Amino acid sequence: MASHITDELCAWIGREVSYTAPEALGAASIRYFALALGDANPLYQDEAFAAQTRHGGVIAPPTLVCETNQIYQSPPDENGYIGHCWPLPVADTRFIRGGNEYEFHQPVRAEDRITATWRILDIFERETRQGGALIFVVSEARFTNQRAELLAINRETNIYRP
Amino acid sequence: MTMPATRCFEDVRVGEALPALEFPATLTALVTYAGATWDFHRYHYDPDFVVESGMKAPFMDGQMAGALIARLLMQWGGPDAFLRRLSFRLRGMVFAGETIILRGAVSGTAIEEGRGLVLCTFDIVKADGTEVLREAQAALELPRRTA
Repeated sequence: MASHITDELCAWIGREVSYTAPEALGAASIRYFALALGDANPLYQDEAFAAQTRHGGVIAPPTLVCETNQIYQSPPDENGYIGHCWPLPVADTRFIRGGNEYEFHQPVRAEDRITATWRILDIFERETRQGGALIFVVSEARFTNQRAELLAINRETNIYRP
Repeated sequence: MTMPATRCFEDVRVGEALPALEFPATLTALVTYAGATWDFHRYHYDPDFVVESGMKAPFMDGQMAGALIARLLMQWGGPDAFLRRLSFRLRGMVFAGETIILRGAVSGTAIEEGRGLVLCTFDIVKADGTEVLREAQAALELPRRTA
């Protein structure tokens, strides 16, 4: 079976791209995200309550920083998507999400202006039990604030099925 | 609502179950989450487009499952908790109108760099028992009484 891992595709390993949000995250984004999850935790919206906790004020729900496309400024594509995407040379494949590993380094706050730095860690191929091939792409996004402090890391694996 | 109470690292027992969380993944909930994350992909709200793409209905962003696990953990851990790590892989898609149930338990504890970490494992199933996610791993930091 011919490998789908071409030199052109391999050249993407190690590539990096950075995006900085045009504005701070904002209290409204935090409250909206909590609302979408049915999450009434006062830590995310009650400043007087949150000030009494070890966090010293309102913080964002943990995964918001890894999930928000507020960071990106591209116009929506034909299907409405505006987030980060690698333009990999993988024509005629189906995209499948493989999984996420998050590390959280410090709480994210309304005043944080977030930068996301994406990097491709690895690209490899695995054979399926049926004898087909799957292309695995492992990426890492590091999220920092306006003081260049590390907030969180998201490592994700995506699968392209020819 | 009742204000969540602080839970300390020393209060946690390995093997204890966390309270289950039932979440109705209505189309409204999926659209609200898509909006809150600035994700305007038609997958999450356009039934005609989704059916053309070979799926039966608009579906949940897989990372919403992780966000719901974080909701459950932070509620259980109390206002001084901080989620340190979370990893998961979806095994089944969740379609608009389905209800999912999150179940977790404490699988261990650890002290790392002086922090008290509670290690938890989660499964997510649909109301009919179909598996959505198995053995998601989380590490939740709780305040230490002795620290």
